[in-house]
Amino acid sequence: MNIRPRFFIGAGLIILAIGYLIGNAMRTTSEYYLTVNEVAARQSELGGEALRVAGRVKPGTVNWEPNTLTLKFEIVPIPELDTGAAPIKPVVATEPVSTEPVSFSVVAAGEPKPDMFAPGRDVIVEGKLGAGGVITATQVMTSCASKYKPKQAQ
Amino acid sequence: MPQLGNLALAIALILAVYSIFANIYGVRRNAPDFIVSARHAIWSMCAMITIAVVVLWVALLRSDFSLEYVASYSSTTLPTAYKFTALWAGQQGSLLLWAWLLAIFTSVAAFQNRRRNPDTAPYALAVLAGVAIFFLWMLNFVTRPFDLLAVIPAEGSDLNPLLQNYWMAIHPPSLYTGYVSASVPFAFGAAALITGKLDDGWIRSTRRWAIFSWFFLTLGNIFGARWAYEVLGWGGYWAWDPVENAAFMPWLVMTAYLHSVMIQERKDMLKVWNLSLIGLAFGLTLFGTFITRSGVISSVHSFTQSGLGPYFLSFLIAVTLAYTGLLIFRSKQLRSPAEFESYLSREAAFLFNNLILVGITFAVFWGTIFPVLSEAVRGVKITVGPPFFNRVNAPLALGLVFLTGIGPLIAWRRTTPDNLVRSFAAPVAIGVATGILGAVAGLRQWYVLTAFSLAAFVMGTVLVEFRRGMNARRHLLNEPRAKALANLVAKNNRRYGGYVIHVGVIIAFIGIVGSSFFRTEVKKSVHAGDSFTIGSYTLRFLGFSEVDTPHLDSATARIEVLGRDGREITVMTPAKLFYIRPQQPATLVAIRSTPVSDLYVVLAGIDDSGKTATLEVFLTPLVFWLWAGGLLMAFGTVIVMWPNVRERAAIATVLSRSSSDPNELADLVGPGGH
Repeated sequence: MNIRPRFFIGAGLIILAIGYLIGNAMRTTSEYYLTVNEVAARQSELGGEALRVAGRVKPGTVNWEPNTLTLKFEIVPIPELDTGAAPIKPVVATEPVSTEPVSFSVVAAGEPKPDMFAPGRDVIVEGKLGAGGVITATQVMTSCASKYKPKQAQ
Repeated sequence: MPQLGNLALAIALILAVYSIFANIYGVRRNAPDFIVSARHAIWSMCAMITIAVVVLWVALLRSDFSLEYVASYSSTTLPTAYKFTALWAGQQGSLLLWAWLLAIFTSVAAFQNRRRNPDTAPYALAVLAGVAIFFLWMLNFVTRPFDLLAVIPAEGSDLNPLLQNYWMAIHPPSLYTGYVSASVPFAFGAAALITGKLDDGWIRSTRRWAIFSWFFLTLGNIFGARWAYEVLGWGGYWAWDPVENAAFMPWLVMTAYLHSVMIQERKDMLKVWNLSLIGLAFGLTLFGTFITRSGVISSVHSFTQSGLGPYFLSFLIAVTLAYTGLLIFRSKQLRSPAEFESYLSREAAFLFNNLILVGITFAVFWGTIFPVLSEAVRGVKITVGPPFFNRVNAPLALGLVFLTGIGPLIAWRRTTPDNLVRSFAAPVAIGVATGILGAVAGLRQWYVLTAFSLAAFVMGTVLVEFRRGMNARRHLLNEPRAKALANLVAKNNRRYGGYVIHVGVIIAFIGIVGSSFFRTEVKKSVHAGDSFTIGSYTLRFLGFSEVDTPHLDSATARIEVLGRDGREITVMTPAKLFYIRPQQPATLVAIRSTPVSDLYVVLAGIDDSGKTATLEVFLTPLVFWLWAGGLLMAFGTVIVMWPNVRERAAIATVLSRSSSDPNELADLVGPGGH
């Protein structure tokens, strides 16, 4: 207001510098955050991109080798009913929807298995999508709820 | 019993509503009876919420699983201390704790202002009661802590193992205390806007509240980081997770606020800025609760997703609109006649420090909500992780540290080049010498060298300040050194406490830089008898021991740690826990902390045969100093908050409306010099 114009220059420079830092960091560090279904729909354009994929560990696919710290499993979409979120906008299908449920193999090497990791749990996989639909993960994070529901009899 | 809790919350809501009407009617019609009645209503509201809290505590301690809350967050085998802390483990309890703290602070503010601020206090208390109404509304109608279960389970689902930890017991109350106490200065700021009494009375009346809030926000963040460090087992303490950011942003804004109010008190400038900052700080406390409770932004911690989002968002928008409206309505009266005179002035340094702090806040905010924004705008979620926050904030932190050194030494209004040289020659020399020493010692990263040099520079400025003040007292009052130092701090606690906080910040900064740049890590799968090295340590895995209790099973690895000379230093015992009730494993980290570095051992896994352990070991230099710096910051804040006779007199003067501008020397020497 009553700050002299040359203070606007100083303040402006600081604001510009902060804006530049933010913009620059955005360009170099942002990654897609996708569901398994979204990865499937955009598979062709995502090769080599940094990704975070939210999915569910498919039971019966987990393979953990403690000696090499290698964790392999498949992720499948999280059923929408479970998330309680509004339905995700449908991806426009260009091909007929296959009846085979979508899944991706995940290979995480060099990291210990997270405590909460278990078949059927929801996980966030950070890594890159390689050829053949294998996600090479740098990190596997399990989402932990602060509240537990007792296991339901299946 | 649960009915008593519900009843108490209902009465509290009615009392909150009544107190608003009584306060506003009382101040408008000049009816002191109503003001008194409103005060009593606030105190009664506090008593009612206290009853509700006690009822919930009793239910938790008695494992009364007819309450859904108790059944969800406790169990019969949960240790008693955690039954106590389960009060804030879940959403309903957290909101109840929030409402309770708010009621307590409102009651204290009502008591403090029973004779002070007769024009503005009723409005401020009405604003606080308005906030209380929001929380009480939620507790009465949306997320009720005393809901009963139709079928009473024999056993509860237990508290999340991650929360069964000492730090998690004290982190949420600290943070909430910091969050909630920020609403007191906010309410007085809003009252200043409503009444048009726009001098700095509202700042001075609530200065201690702002520092109190900052104190607990600082502790809350430090405790949270310490919890992450000890419990999550990844060797770090801060991951820029949305939940963490939500706690960090109000701290940043309150830090900016505590500095910029000094400019208004001194120079009657930046009125709009200060009112905006306190509004922002309050808004961010609501925003923090909104993002942690709404599930809008996915967090690794991913706390309860619930339907609370829309309520918090509506309240946040309503508060923002009302407050911004008030600011615009009063904008003409908020113009200040004073001006900035020179770049080389303390107010300029403070202004730039404010811009950087708010800039960091904005960057953190942007990174936190970007996934939501990008999804709304481009239809695809794009997220930024820790690299984003580090890349933006690392340079800004350097700027901030630099200004930490400049601000306190530079004079108000303007400084002559002569003065500059005299004040800064020694600190600059110390900083440069540190940089050269670091380079000679083999440090090559430019960031680390700059950071350590700047840190040394700031330490130098603080030393110069203490020396200058001590010498002034010694010469003017003939006090011996030690007495001069003690009196200097005691008589100018606000200023020298501030310097102690600065030293704490710098020490914590050194800890952050050291632990971020020099951490090393080894991951190994080992059999009993195997050994491996990290840094100068040799670690040998001796074997497992297992203990089973009804609450949890544990497998503890025994690891012998040998020093460079092959002598045993200690045996570390990281463990893998398995909590029976939630059927969930957890990790117990073993840490050997020294000022030089922390040895951090995680038992990451045990193979099925029970012979092989997967160990993850981190060697993190200087991380000790992060916690030490944090404690020093808290200690400095206590010095600042310590009651001071001179300041009370100053408040009395301001409140009786004659402005004073004590000069620099009086500041240094204190009342003894007159």
